[in-house]
Amino acid sequence: MKEQFQTKVKTRLIGLMLLMLFTTLTALAQSANVSGTVKDETGESVPGATVVVKGTQTGTVTDLDGNFSIKAAPGDILVVSFIGYSAREITVQSGQTVYDISLEDSMSDLSEVVVVGYGSQRKADITSAVSVINMDAIGNVPTTNVSRLLQGQAAGVEVRQQSGRPGEEMQIRIRGIGSLGAGSQPLYVVDGFPIGNSLGQNVNPADIETITVLKDAASTSIYGARGSNGVVLITTKNAKEGKVGLEVIVNQGVTNLPDNRRTKMMNGVEFATFKNESFVDRIRYFSKREPLIEEIPLEFRFPEQTAISTDWFNEILNQNAKFQNVNATLTAGKGDIRSLVSVGYVNQEGAIIKTDFDRFNVRANVDGKINEFLTMGVNLSASHSRENFAPTDGRSAIIGRALWADPRYPVYKEDGTFNPYIGGTGGVFGTANVVQELYETTRDLNTNNLMSNAFLEVSFLKNFKFRTVLNANLTGSKQKEFRPSTLAGGGFNQPPPREATLMERTVETMNISADQLLSYSKTIQKHRIDALLGFSAQEENTSFLQGNGNEFASDKTKSLNAAVRTTSTSGEFGWSLLAYFARANYAYNDKYLFSATFRREGSSRFGANNKYGNFPAFSAGWRLSEENFFPKTSWITDLKLRGSYGITGNNAIGNYSSQSVMRASNYVFAGKIATGQILSNFSNSFLGWEQSQQTDIGLDLSLFENKVILTAEYYNRITNNMLLSVEMPSVSGFTQSLDNVGKVKNIGLELGIDFRTKVSRVNLRTNLNLTFNRNEVLELRGGADAIWSGSFYGSYNVSKVGRPMAMLYGYKMMGIFQTDEEVKNWPTQDGAIPGTYKYFDATGDGVISYDQRDMIEIGNPHPAMLLGWTLGGDVGGFDFNILFTGAFNYDMMRNIEATTMNMDGVFNILQSGVNRFRSADMPGDGRGATSNTWKWQRESNSRYVYDASHVWLRNITLGYSLPLNVIKFKTRLFFSGENLFLFTDYPGTNPDVSTGGGINIGRDDEAYPVPRTFTLGATISF
Amino acid sequence: MKLTLYQELLHLEQLSVFKTKKRNMKKILIYFQTLILVVGLGSCGEDFLDKTDPTALVSDTFYGTDQEVTQAVTGIYGMLRGYFNSHWQFTEFISDNTTLHFNVGNRGQGPALEAIEYWQYNAGTPNFASLYNNTYSIMVNINTTLEKLKTSTASQAIKDRSEGELKVMRAYLYFDLVRLFGDVIIVTEPIKTPADAFQLQRSPSEAVYSLVLADLSDAINLLPPNYPANQVGRITKGAALTMQGRVRLHRKEYPEVINSLKQVLNLGYNLLPNYADVFRPGNKNHKESIWDVQYQGENLFGVNSSFIYTFAPLASQGAVIKFPGQDGGGWNTPSKEFISLYEPGDVRKSVSLKEGYTSNSGAWVPVPFINKYNNPHSIRGVTDDNWPIIRYSDVLLMLSEAINETSGPTSEAYEYLNLVRVRATLSPLNGLDKNQFRMAVLKERRIELAFENHRWFDLKRTLSPSEIKTLLNAYGKKEREDPTTSRGGIPFSQEDYTFEEYQVLFPIPADQIRINPATTQNPGY
Repeated sequence: MKEQFQTKVKTRLIGLMLLMLFTTLTALAQSANVSGTVKDETGESVPGATVVVKGTQTGTVTDLDGNFSIKAAPGDILVVSFIGYSAREITVQSGQTVYDISLEDSMSDLSEVVVVGYGSQRKADITSAVSVINMDAIGNVPTTNVSRLLQGQAAGVEVRQQSGRPGEEMQIRIRGIGSLGAGSQPLYVVDGFPIGNSLGQNVNPADIETITVLKDAASTSIYGARGSNGVVLITTKNAKEGKVGLEVIVNQGVTNLPDNRRTKMMNGVEFATFKNESFVDRIRYFSKREPLIEEIPLEFRFPEQTAISTDWFNEILNQNAKFQNVNATLTAGKGDIRSLVSVGYVNQEGAIIKTDFDRFNVRANVDGKINEFLTMGVNLSASHSRENFAPTDGRSAIIGRALWADPRYPVYKEDGTFNPYIGGTGGVFGTANVVQELYETTRDLNTNNLMSNAFLEVSFLKNFKFRTVLNANLTGSKQKEFRPSTLAGGGFNQPPPREATLMERTVETMNISADQLLSYSKTIQKHRIDALLGFSAQEENTSFLQGNGNEFASDKTKSLNAAVRTTSTSGEFGWSLLAYFARANYAYNDKYLFSATFRREGSSRFGANNKYGNFPAFSAGWRLSEENFFPKTSWITDLKLRGSYGITGNNAIGNYSSQSVMRASNYVFAGKIATGQILSNFSNSFLGWEQSQQTDIGLDLSLFENKVILTAEYYNRITNNMLLSVEMPSVSGFTQSLDNVGKVKNIGLELGIDFRTKVSRVNLRTNLNLTFNRNEVLELRGGADAIWSGSFYGSYNVSKVGRPMAMLYGYKMMGIFQTDEEVKNWPTQDGAIPGTYKYFDATGDGVISYDQRDMIEIGNPHPAMLLGWTLGGDVGGFDFNILFTGAFNYDMMRNIEATTMNMDGVFNILQSGVNRFRSADMPGDGRGATSNTWKWQRESNSRYVYDASHVWLRNITLGYSLPLNVIKFKTRLFFSGENLFLFTDYPGTNPDVSTGGGINIGRDDEAYPVPRTFTLGATISF
Repeated sequence: MKLTLYQELLHLEQLSVFKTKKRNMKKILIYFQTLILVVGLGSCGEDFLDKTDPTALVSDTFYGTDQEVTQAVTGIYGMLRGYFNSHWQFTEFISDNTTLHFNVGNRGQGPALEAIEYWQYNAGTPNFASLYNNTYSIMVNINTTLEKLKTSTASQAIKDRSEGELKVMRAYLYFDLVRLFGDVIIVTEPIKTPADAFQLQRSPSEAVYSLVLADLSDAINLLPPNYPANQVGRITKGAALTMQGRVRLHRKEYPEVINSLKQVLNLGYNLLPNYADVFRPGNKNHKESIWDVQYQGENLFGVNSSFIYTFAPLASQGAVIKFPGQDGGGWNTPSKEFISLYEPGDVRKSVSLKEGYTSNSGAWVPVPFINKYNNPHSIRGVTDDNWPIIRYSDVLLMLSEAINETSGPTSEAYEYLNLVRVRATLSPLNGLDKNQFRMAVLKERRIELAFENHRWFDLKRTLSPSEIKTLLNAYGKKEREDPTTSRGGIPFSQEDYTFEEYQVLFPIPADQIRINPATTQNPGY
């Protein structure tokens, strides 16, 4: 882990300075020459380490191979130190002139350098809320996406794996949801290049050296209008100074879905019995008599004779899905030019058949000194990824249909071909065969990405540096979807054959940014000043071209020119920004720390009257432990108090939103098409920035020589002028308009504890982080306003003043009507009969109206606490790493149950539906409605709301490093288990799921399940 | 202000740091400048941030020229296509003319279309919200264009024609609104800020009618009686006059009705000899057509109609719409009661509807469907049928009705009525008293203008709410006892087909009251 900081330029400078200092001061004591080598725990030599004779000014620095030579007399004590290691003291023995000194990792070193916005800073000097993700502590996780690396690693960073789709980018939220209308995703910055609110799928996790998460305004305001939701800084690897090496990582594994993460539906006999009973119950209730046998359709008359029972969900699972990952990294760090070349390949088959993701990455990072004052570098990475995807999420998609499809139909006909139409008889909805659909449809997404970062840095006038940076990110993707004629339709009751359809789409995005940075750094006695002046311009343009084809002579010709009918469309959009920014850091005596930043930024996305915004921030820190009055205890190593305040913005509102444009609305005159134009949206030229004001108070405490590090942080973020799509009276011609209205507050507490210890030969370390976030809407358009999103049969999220954003809304289910009498005595529920849900009359007007009026808050989708807990250690050659993540006290609307517990008889139902209400004498478990009607059971209501508190055992990694005397090169073998266990009472398969999109949060309509992955791998370093 | 990035950097020269000294400093600066040029962000000035959608025109600067004004008006005509795609729900389907083909499989349609058929609608019924919102979204385009016409540099001829067309469309929409919703919010100018929209309140119906009549008289003065061949399809003076007659008939201002409609008689319109020809896509904009919504099929330009896809029976699998496996939506199904109204020998019956179809397996399926808009077409989902808004036979029947109301069944009244009957190969009527004549004209309207969205309005203008309630509940009772289409054993809900007087006015959509609580609701909801 110490390696990651060694290479930083600043470290080198410090090393050089020390070298100069000490060589000039080397005393000419009458001592003998003592020499030796400094190595780390693994036997690697440590260049640049300082060796000082204690109590004197005699010292030296180790060379590139870790060797040193110093004059010392017997009895002198050599102090050997280096960043990232605990200092060691060695007494010079008479007669011994050669010493092999090994250094141990220090727990944390305050002189570590941390990457921050447009630069880096000593950890000790940081006065804002910054989390550094410890890449070594994550272990070798079998992942294709970088977002996984953030899971459970930092307080205040919520990572939700919403689906188990291969290659899926997880949802990341830093310090809660700060916006109702604009996005809540952080800004991702790769090697200084702000690439946007999504990292996509194309960065190779193996190439990453460090990840820093900027959380408060003081650290993010330098990113101005994109800083509101936090910033994730990713730095890729480069060669270590003085080292040449080749590292190969090979990882192979298998992915599957454990039985307890599968939803259990009725089998053939159970479903036929249910259908049979539903006919019986209907006649009993509506006709008040026992049914005649012939009144029950033949196919359900003798349910126990149902011959076929297909578990559609099991049929679509790939229980032997392969995971494969190979990375090779070649580094050359000798001489003035450092370079790294890496290649990576990853291939992940999905837990659902015929879905997979693979990616090929190459990277070349090169930098070096041209002369005394010129440094230059370029990072180039290219990737190609290919995904076979399927529309899996939601009740109408593959997973949903696998749940509700009629189990009495087989996957294959007797001749071995696919049975193309499932259900469609006896009042059960007909659907396509999901297995056939997965096999026969083509759904490819190919993406090529090329990212480059180039810089040239000039040092001049001693303290100045000018750095010019040019970044470019080019992404091209090609998507192809073909649905053959042999498949049933995608909707309900659409038996095959249908028209074959083809969609092909290419998208190209080019993002270019240029930064000019002038920095100044000077230390005058106890004063240390760093200043930065910058100018940045960035532009992104995207264009797409799409063709659709319908009706094909044959399903074999999957190209547009084979289609009977084709249509095409294309589009272009883009944005630009221009920013000036400055930052000044000042430290006095390493005790009092101040920092101020300012950014003025203009964006093409805002109204003509509001193009520019100003984003100032201030922070200050006080290292109490450096004060003379601070008690010098042995156990407090360092104590720092810090606070910050600043303003950041959010511009994630889409392009051209402030403008009203015309759109086509054509007509026909005299049999000819006439082009027409109509208004497409309400124009708001006053549209401006969404602003967040954030206050942060933090405390960093190191105890017992950095063995225990505590971080506590309180923040208060208020988002003003929220960019919100506001509902307007439709008499304006539009139902909504983007406006700057409303205010939301997020307050929170973040706690992090790092603990390391050594018990005899066993090194143990643990990291626990806890996040508590509270969200409250302070203001909307008017006092009593509410913002509704969602739908009547889905779920509603409502934001109201004084309440957290996007609370779950619906009818409150009070039980199940048992008798007609009970229905009569209850407030009027039009159409209710015994067995339907009994809803709460919230308005108290005696009527439960079939609209939103009687709906109330029925759940809170925001976790009260988030947990990340890493436990690791090593002994001898063995090491282990365990990660738990958790979220507590929040609700999910399990909306899929409105389908899988829909007693219409048009869908298969959950096994627990056996215990539904049948009559007052057979009331069931009070959770399932009657099959006699459809009304009053599938509306957004509290019946489907569950507490989703959970803990995941995300990962266990076990490793064994082969002794070096056995093999000539370092080899570590490891086993890893990902997403191993889920501890929860939530009945769904993934409590992190969210199928609603936008702020329609906390909704589970069943998504691609999250599988577990077992891998075996090896890391070999030459 | 245009500053290049290069210039930005030159400004740095003025900073004291750079001024201080040294030759090599200058060298370095020159080096920077060259570097920036190489970096190539050539012009990074203020206009760097001016981005507009390259695929669209900005509305602020539109409406300037003849072409732009014409395109704006065409765009509004285009919106009528969408408006009429669902107009049948509120004017035909809700009435006793049509019902639905019961969908045993999908019972999830409750709050929407089925609620309209069974009169179980309420303020949350989404179709009313769509109707209301769509109407005003056309209105904002009409109002914006009318406003911009004042400052437009387009020619006077184009401005006049456009104003006439827009005012007829605005009158048409407000006339629909006031009949369906009662008092409504009047907007005649574009709204500038979201806050302004909250200030608007419902106006009394009378004010709405005044606006409608004022718009129509303006339009009558501005519009030509006909257009050059390449402009056919635009709204004419005849359409404006007929609309005026319609509005006045609704208000029972019979002498004025006669005055308006008689002017239409002189504009060259006539009945086609054959009723079937009226609806043939190959025969659009004929002598009998006064105002049609123009659709075009046989291509994929997106201006087509697709009514039969909504109206054809469910699961007809290509037996009605001649594409393999093609089903209909099963909506707007002619009711048994309506089918029984036809006199023997009426040629209009087989043109307007079919009582069933022969399935692919050769079986007769007795599910009736509307046939007026069922014409052969070569692209699935793309039909060529126009939608008639005003036909000459409507003018004749309205005139006949108004004359009867003012002076009884005169020979002139018989003349207009019998023109329509004879064309349908029925015998002319005679010898009726005033009331019998009134009933005869209404029945004739029901048959002649079947499935052209007149029934609900004819009920509303001729009957009181309590009479409508009686009539509809009687029809509902029949449907409950003997449904037009089979219900697959699923019983009616208790409240289905129960009509209450207050339901003659639609509810103001619940969302609109939630968004602006100052908006009032119609009684009963």
